Amino acid sequence: MSNIMPLIRNETIKMVKKKRLYIIFIVLAVLVPMFTYAQMKSAENNRDKFGGDWRLELQQAITDNQNSLGSDRVPEEYKKYRTVYIQQMQYYLENDINPKEPGGVTFTREFMNNAVGLFIPLLIMAIASDLVSGERTTGTIKMLLTRPVKRWKVLLSKLITLIMFVSIIVVSAYVICYVISGAVFGYKGFGMPIFTGFKVVGTDVDMSAVHAVDQWLYMLMQAGLIWFVSIIVAMLAFMVSVLVRSTAASIVIMMAALIAGTILTSMAASWQSAKYLFMVNLELPNYLSGGLPPIEGMNLGFSLIVLSVWGIASLFVSFIVFTKRDILN
Amino acid sequence: MKKRNLDSAPWIWRTISTVSILTTLLLLFGFGYAIKDVIFPEGDAQLGTGQQTTAPAKDSGQSTPVVKDGKIRMAVIGDSLARGTGDDEGLGFVRRAGNLLKDQGYDVQVLNNMGVNGLRTDALLSKLDEQGVRYVLQQSNFILLSIGANDLFQGGQVLQGEDAPTAETLAAALPETSKRLQEILKKVKEINPDAQIAYIGLYNPFGDVKELKEPGNAVVAAWNDAAMKVLNNEDKMTLVPTFDLFENHLGQYLSSDHFHPNGEGYEQIAVRIAQEYQAETPAEGSGK
Repeated sequence: MSNIMPLIRNETIKMVKKKRLYIIFIVLAVLVPMFTYAQMKSAENNRDKFGGDWRLELQQAITDNQNSLGSDRVPEEYKKYRTVYIQQMQYYLENDINPKEPGGVTFTREFMNNAVGLFIPLLIMAIASDLVSGERTTGTIKMLLTRPVKRWKVLLSKLITLIMFVSIIVVSAYVICYVISGAVFGYKGFGMPIFTGFKVVGTDVDMSAVHAVDQWLYMLMQAGLIWFVSIIVAMLAFMVSVLVRSTAASIVIMMAALIAGTILTSMAASWQSAKYLFMVNLELPNYLSGGLPPIEGMNLGFSLIVLSVWGIASLFVSFIVFTKRDILN
Repeated sequence: MKKRNLDSAPWIWRTISTVSILTTLLLLFGFGYAIKDVIFPEGDAQLGTGQQTTAPAKDSGQSTPVVKDGKIRMAVIGDSLARGTGDDEGLGFVRRAGNLLKDQGYDVQVLNNMGVNGLRTDALLSKLDEQGVRYVLQQSNFILLSIGANDLFQGGQVLQGEDAPTAETLAAALPETSKRLQEILKKVKEINPDAQIAYIGLYNPFGDVKELKEPGNAVVAAWNDAAMKVLNNEDKMTLVPTFDLFENHLGQYLSSDHFHPNGEGYEQIAVRIAQEYQAETPAEGSGK
């Protein structure tokens, strides 16, 4: 173990010197203001319409959703989502709590909720996809492996470094989002209560386990789940970077998988076994807010197991391939 | 350049490793807490009981003062007619009446359109217990109500080849549904005693269908009568008659589904609603 620390250290320095890492922060710094602006516009629009009264706004949203339930043109799947949504929003109204109390904190929570399926994994991929393949493209892998260090240790040091940066990226995403959106919406809202514990049974929502948590705690839980998802995505991207020689190819492969995931999630209802694919299980924070799972029978435990299996399997593949393969050709 | 890079290395390493360990611990804690919270949730006893505990606390919302700002604050509740189904412009009688009142110099705000397609009296009755609905009604000072057509005519399905209602079936549905209508009107009044309430009377969409004309007319008349009985005893409650409007102009005022009004039909209803509106004080800012 003594000789792995210098390796990690070395990898960390390499990562910090890489331009790719900063692209992540730049992308966040460009995108978040865009979403902030969009959110601000829609908030303004609603203020004009409902005089800033969130209860009126929420009730109208409930009625609009109720109307779509009666329509034959709306697919059954969407109706289920809407039924669940209606029941939850009514619960918020009954307890007189605004689920969208405007503020930097709420914006951050909503943004991260939407980001976990595609955006965050893309950011993670940006640094994970070239960890090994990048060194093969440039040929520096030979230098690394000619050292008197076991190959698995080299790979392990890269993996640990990757996980370190995953944590940093997830937290930075929160910080960047909060700092930027707060400038527009204000920095308050950590103490606002959020309901969690909705259990979806068929198209009905079981409210017996519902409880309120402060928004900061909710976001901490959300961040933990996003982090777990990010680690799994990182491991998969890591495996691809071991398997594929070119960084470009490895990015394309991961991106295709992730985008396929979002498409599948939106139409997975008719393909039950899609629930064993990792991409369909990425939206873990959904279990916190109590949304309908993409495929019936999925719950947090299930998704965690599926993701873990994918993560562990990809680690196996990575280590076996990396230690066995003749790389010096 | 090379030298500087090397010099900065220990500093970078120390910062990055510390930050990453701290963030990882934080995220791990969040992850663990999330698992605990989702898989073994502890319902909040206070919240878990739902309506009973929260409703009384909430009904302090009943004392929410109705804003007296000289504005007409309209809300509409009921079925697809309230919604405006059939109106190509999507305005319905609510927006149209709002626009007419605006033209007369009033300051009008439509708070909410709570019309739901296919709504019947029983569903509306339970809807009136919903916190959000009550809130909207409490905030408004001009409440429009449209209900009953689905109870009597099954949303116009009779025209889609299902068995036509006979005079008997129409008459049989009448007593209990009109009783429910009375309950609804009373409840709306209870929720907001200060608002003006306008109930949109029924018309007979089948007035031009030979075998349905007579039983239809009879049942609609009986229905409107039942509504009148309640309305007569209450202040600030009016019936907006539509029967006579449509009677001889069905072809002109009905939309293609032969059940809902079209834009022109809604406009006619809106004109009457605007006429019904009784200003408490002359509208401020009307100026003219």
